[in-house]
Amino acid sequence: MPDLPADTPVDRLARATPPTLARKVRGLSDRTIAWIFVAPTILLLLAINIFPLIWTIRLSFTNFRANRPNEPVEWVGLRNYQRILTDPDIWQTMQATAHFLFWTLFFQVLIGFTLAWLINRKFRGNDLMTTLIVIPMMLSPAVVGNFWTFLYQPQIGLINYAVEFVTGIPASSFTMLGSVSLAPWAIVIVDTWMWTPFVMLICLAGLRSIPDYIYEAAEVDRASKWRQFWTMTIPMVLPFLMLAVLFRGIENFKMFDLVVLLTGGGPGDTTLLSSIELKREAFEKWRTGYSSAYAIILFVTVFGLASIYVKALNKVKER
Amino acid sequence: MSAYSITEPSKASKWVAGILVTLYMVITLLPLAWIISTGFKTGPDSISYPPKVIFSPSIEGYVNLFTDRTRATPEQLATMPPPDNFVDEIVQRRGEVVTGPSRFGERFLNSIIIGFGSTALSIVLGTLAAYAFSRFKVPLKDDLLFFILSTRMMPPIAVAIPIFLMYRQLGLSDTHLGMILLYTGVNISLAVWLLKGFIDEIPREYEEAALIDGYTRFQAFRKVVLPQAATGIASTAIFCLIFAWNEYAFAVLLTSGNAQTAPPFIPTIIGVGGQDWPAVAAGATLFLLPVMIFTILLRKHLLRGITFGAVRK
Amino acid sequence: MRAFLTGLLSFRRGPWENLATVLIGLGVVMLMQPFALWAFTWSFVVTLTGTVMFIITSHFPE
Repeated sequence: MPDLPADTPVDRLARATPPTLARKVRGLSDRTIAWIFVAPTILLLLAINIFPLIWTIRLSFTNFRANRPNEPVEWVGLRNYQRILTDPDIWQTMQATAHFLFWTLFFQVLIGFTLAWLINRKFRGNDLMTTLIVIPMMLSPAVVGNFWTFLYQPQIGLINYAVEFVTGIPASSFTMLGSVSLAPWAIVIVDTWMWTPFVMLICLAGLRSIPDYIYEAAEVDRASKWRQFWTMTIPMVLPFLMLAVLFRGIENFKMFDLVVLLTGGGPGDTTLLSSIELKREAFEKWRTGYSSAYAIILFVTVFGLASIYVKALNKVKER
Repeated sequence: MSAYSITEPSKASKWVAGILVTLYMVITLLPLAWIISTGFKTGPDSISYPPKVIFSPSIEGYVNLFTDRTRATPEQLATMPPPDNFVDEIVQRRGEVVTGPSRFGERFLNSIIIGFGSTALSIVLGTLAAYAFSRFKVPLKDDLLFFILSTRMMPPIAVAIPIFLMYRQLGLSDTHLGMILLYTGVNISLAVWLLKGFIDEIPREYEEAALIDGYTRFQAFRKVVLPQAATGIASTAIFCLIFAWNEYAFAVLLTSGNAQTAPPFIPTIIGVGGQDWPAVAAGATLFLLPVMIFTILLRKHLLRGITFGAVRK
Repeated sequence: MRAFLTGLLSFRRGPWENLATVLIGLGVVMLMQPFALWAFTWSFVVTLTGTVMFIITSHFPE
């Protein structure tokens, strides 16, 4: 109908734009649009993530030092990797990381699952309480971590006071962050405080995804509550729990901000997690090549765990 | 009233659960309550033992947070004019004089600029990419999505080494632009994954109807999909904002003055003989409060946000 | 076990992906275990193999 004054939005746009552009806009195939939409994201990620990664791999075979950019750079082959992977001190930091990783996951799963299980009793006000409990995990780990050093003060801190109040151990007789035996536990406590809600939320989603009729059928079959819990609740929540454990595992494997502000790796390297050690090598000792190799080792580990994580993610999505 | 069901927990077990969860809640919120209350304590009150729960509130912490001060001798103080505002009054009562504003305001402003800048950029790029991934056949889609997600998993310190070198070459060290680009690079993965989930939920029929009505793809996207995805976009934006707001590792390694954000700055607030706790607590309160409010607003989408959109409830 | 082996031989995704997952898990454990330095030394190779295998085998048919 060429005679009628066309006034669909398309035509208005077509009139407002120069003819060639208008034709182009109309004529773009879906495929082209797809590329136009995806390209900026990919380009940005290439520039901010992939290019630096390739640079790091390159540097990891050299003895480059970032604080002496004018010195000649030598290729050292695999020597950096060899030195890191046979260094007992680095091994030690990995064990500190393992201690942190294992116990934070243990407590977070234990407390988080229990909380989710209790909240799933659907008592009055459970929604509001869930929201309030979640708050710590959304906050800045650096700012919160810094404040926890105040709570841990031996003379004046709230934690030591609470311990004295409950157990009678004098508050000034121990320092959570300054003692070799207590510091690794002090960081576990703060991380657990902060991230238990994360595990709780995901477990709660898992518990709520179990349809009621399964339990009803079990009641009819007279399965005991204990049996129902182990044969139905746990297997149904397990994929969700895996997701939470993998994600917290990855995050805590590369933990930096919270712990660096709590202890800075001390006392005596007892809380020197791998990321903190990496920061020292890279930005305090300026052994750029060496620390690049270290970074690649950490990165490959995280990348491997991340691919398992995505697999777990898809499994949960299918539910 | 719901009908009686054999799966409904008994009244007694609800009570027990309610009490236990309340107990946990009180314990877990205590440190936060302590931060807020310490911000209103005077120096001596904040470090008294046993810790003071009841105290007369003071805004000394906030005054210290926003000012730089120096000690003055009684003679110097005597020669000074009487204080004409509450700030001078509080400071002079302690035998100090204000030398100028502190850098907290600047750092806070940097956090706002970098936070909002990177959020806006991630949302714009993320929405486009998410739409394409949701609606079109993109070659290697799964690989691209995994690649996008894996970039977020990288250890920040490992990324910081080459970024540090790259930014030094490009003159982006310690600039707002540099930090905005960096945070966008980290946030965009979350934005793409979350938004893809939200857009997947919008029925395709709406767009197809619009296409039949003569809309182009762009128009269908702008006029049909975007309004439908508004809630999703808003909650994704808040997640991005919270990440950029809280980020510490990049900020402490790549900024020192000009573009430094609040998280690396707050732990450096010191007074006489160590950290000035009321001032630190005051800064922390101002810094954490917006996130607490956002968390409450976001409560329905929290689960999605922390699982990259995998868990939808 | 037999199904697993035939799966491996016919380049199906499932068994290969599981094998890669096990390798990655093993590598991570070797990296952080406190018992033997040699396990720590070789952990990186194991994790790297697992990760590369995972990327390749995720393109095998279902």
